[in-house]
Amino acid sequence: MSEAPVAPAEAAGVVGVRVVSKAFGGVHALRGASFAACAGEVHGLVGENGAGKSTLIKLLGGRLPPDTGSVMLDERAVRLSGTADAARHGIGTVFQELTLLPWMSVAENLLIGREPRSAIGLIRRGALAREAEAVLAGLGIHHIDPRALAAEVSLAERQIIEIARVIIRRPRILLLDEPTSSLAEREVEWLFARIRELRDQGTSIVFTSHRWNEITAIADRITIFRNGQEVGTFTTIDEAKAITLMTGRRVDALYPSLPPVPDGAPAALALAHGSLDGRTEFAFSLAAGEILGIGGLAGQGHRELFLGLFGAPALRRGRISVGGKPVRIANPADAIRAGFGIALVPEDRKTEGLLLSLPVRDNLSLPLLRRISRLGVIRGGAEMRMSREMISGLGIRTPTPMQPVGALSGGNQQKVLVGRWLLAESRILLLYDVTRGVDVATKHEICELMVRLAGEGKAILFYSSDTEELAHLCHRVLVLRGGRIAAELNRPELTAESIVAAAMRDAA
Amino acid sequence: MKRLSLSPDALRVLAAYGAAVLLFVIGAFVHPGFASFGSITSILLVATFVGLVAAGQCFVVLVGGIDLSVPWVLNAAAILLATSSLGQDSRAAYAVVLTLGMGLVAGFANGVGVVWLGVPAVVMTLAMNGIIEGLALGLTGGMTCGACASYAPPVIAASVHDVWLGVPAALWLWLVVILIVSFVLGLTRFGRITYAIGNNPRAAYLAGINVSLTTVCLYGLSGLFSALAGILLVGFGGQASLGMGTPYLFQSIAAVVIGGVSILGGRGNYLGAAAGAVSLTALVSVLLALNMPDYGRSIIYGVVILALLLLYGRDQRE
Repeated sequence: MSEAPVAPAEAAGVVGVRVVSKAFGGVHALRGASFAACAGEVHGLVGENGAGKSTLIKLLGGRLPPDTGSVMLDERAVRLSGTADAARHGIGTVFQELTLLPWMSVAENLLIGREPRSAIGLIRRGALAREAEAVLAGLGIHHIDPRALAAEVSLAERQIIEIARVIIRRPRILLLDEPTSSLAEREVEWLFARIRELRDQGTSIVFTSHRWNEITAIADRITIFRNGQEVGTFTTIDEAKAITLMTGRRVDALYPSLPPVPDGAPAALALAHGSLDGRTEFAFSLAAGEILGIGGLAGQGHRELFLGLFGAPALRRGRISVGGKPVRIANPADAIRAGFGIALVPEDRKTEGLLLSLPVRDNLSLPLLRRISRLGVIRGGAEMRMSREMISGLGIRTPTPMQPVGALSGGNQQKVLVGRWLLAESRILLLYDVTRGVDVATKHEICELMVRLAGEGKAILFYSSDTEELAHLCHRVLVLRGGRIAAELNRPELTAESIVAAAMRDAA
Repeated sequence: MKRLSLSPDALRVLAAYGAAVLLFVIGAFVHPGFASFGSITSILLVATFVGLVAAGQCFVVLVGGIDLSVPWVLNAAAILLATSSLGQDSRAAYAVVLTLGMGLVAGFANGVGVVWLGVPAVVMTLAMNGIIEGLALGLTGGMTCGACASYAPPVIAASVHDVWLGVPAALWLWLVVILIVSFVLGLTRFGRITYAIGNNPRAAYLAGINVSLTTVCLYGLSGLFSALAGILLVGFGGQASLGMGTPYLFQSIAAVVIGGVSILGGRGNYLGAAAGAVSLTALVSVLLALNMPDYGRSIIYGVVILALLLLYGRDQRE
């Protein structure tokens, strides 16, 4: 075990790239990068967003051809014409974007192209579901109904199906691009158990994640990317050093320290007699200057709670008050106008948050158009000035306010969504997994921003699929289980372990 | 690296104008006098009607919708104008208000069906087209009623044909419409919201925008513009007739597509659609000058639309 870079040539790689470059328009995603993974190893790939990890996976998985350089398979350059061609070479890939067909059943998605057929070639539908059930059970998955439509199961379950679909095809090279970003702790453990099995059978596994503890838990070797090039490959490396290499600058502490909630801080947002299932009730209140975490396994009602407080749609039951006054919230417009103003940064920034092909400026000003318009005409100067202020205030990395927001990195997109609500002067922020799929350095910035905003008296309700983050960043954490609050954890007993324990208690 | 280049959307608008100019040049080779001032203004006058319908179509296409009720909203508007004005100037103002109101109501009804009843836009507007066709035919007894033969009031005919500064009045009107629609889409809150909805209705809704109401208004505007085109067509031709709206469905959608408005919504502008209307009309005129028969023109229309959808549809998906 050493921290010295291992030369890629030391071990014979089964899959890799040699001096590849790939550009999209004027943006160079990879510039002369080389990489090799061996049989029977888990190779962690880390780097900031935009470092080239996903592009590398796409080249290896046959989704994109390199501009220059070559994809290597068993030490020979190969030309992959597509993912099907890659599959013929034994390469299976779980890409970052989900690819399930939403209106087909889990079973159909899972076994697509290899369905059980009758003598005359028709798909045997009854056998299909039974076979899918058996296949899932063989992988240790028991809670997903193979007859459900893919659109009906949760994001985490969809991700599990994506992974299962690739694994059952027995690839000898398995590429996983951010497979854990929508998974909760227990599901990650499930995935790691599968990965270890495959590795021990000699499969070569390339794995990317923004969660450092996952990388160190599973990876045999780690390759760090920065700006489209590999920086080095290591067998062990500590987090601080890795972050320095990834970002090219030092990050002092992973989580900023949290100032205490001022004594007697007024309640900004309170929910009484709230209910997600229409049966059990719960209540909580969130003080100005407080970061209140919502934890628990995926699919326990977090999403419904966040959307419900924002009126999209309203909670089944519950009385919401803002600043001590009861408010009626039937839709997002009500929430935005209610009292201090409620804001939501939703789960999926691409489908629920942003107008991807419109400029950063338009995305920032969307909720405050009424305020910056006179007789329905937008005051262009004011709009531009506010956008520039927010761009520099939050350090959003964009060449101009007119850049389409879809061209920004994930972390910067997330900052645009937060910035929008700061411009709208919302004082209650509902942040749903804001750090998901965001690189380490930007994650750090977002954490610092949250702490700063709390210090300025904003009330923050925060859900994260990263338990570690909840434990470090929140004053209090409510653990949801089965649509109700299973536990309230305060400092000092608030730790990642205590959250997980509360989330799993009597959940078999 | 910053490159000095136009956005793809701006390029499409330029391409639409380029196509129009090119067609006039080709026309001039085919038929001397094609590019004379008189010929150009008469082609532009014909394009005006397509352009006005395309303005409404542009609004609904920008939110990913479509208005197939154009033919009979336009036709009913033409009939309503003729029968309610009885060819008298004194009744013209009342008839115009009534007719535009009818268009607006038909459009709102489309919007309500699409937004609140959840009927797909294609089905809703097609059904509306059928309903209005039935009403128009029934109420006029198949255009046999006494008032049905009325001519356009002179003031309306004049507002199409009168020449100001060498250009027909209807063209000036279109110019004003181009300016107003471009202003609304580009600089107002309503326009910005329209693009936001077309881009991502869920995200717009979660940013507090009243997606339903805005969408209903957009369909209303489409009905209004169809009715306006119907009024001017009566002024242009003198009388209303059955089937006069039929060509405008295909042409309005074609103009919008040629002008670079994404059929999936969210991208494009009316400046492009107006250029699309001009190039489409110029194309028809060139084909006429070549003595191309009707069926040949239809085929060429279809091929142009398909080619453009293939071309523009590709870069949508990256």
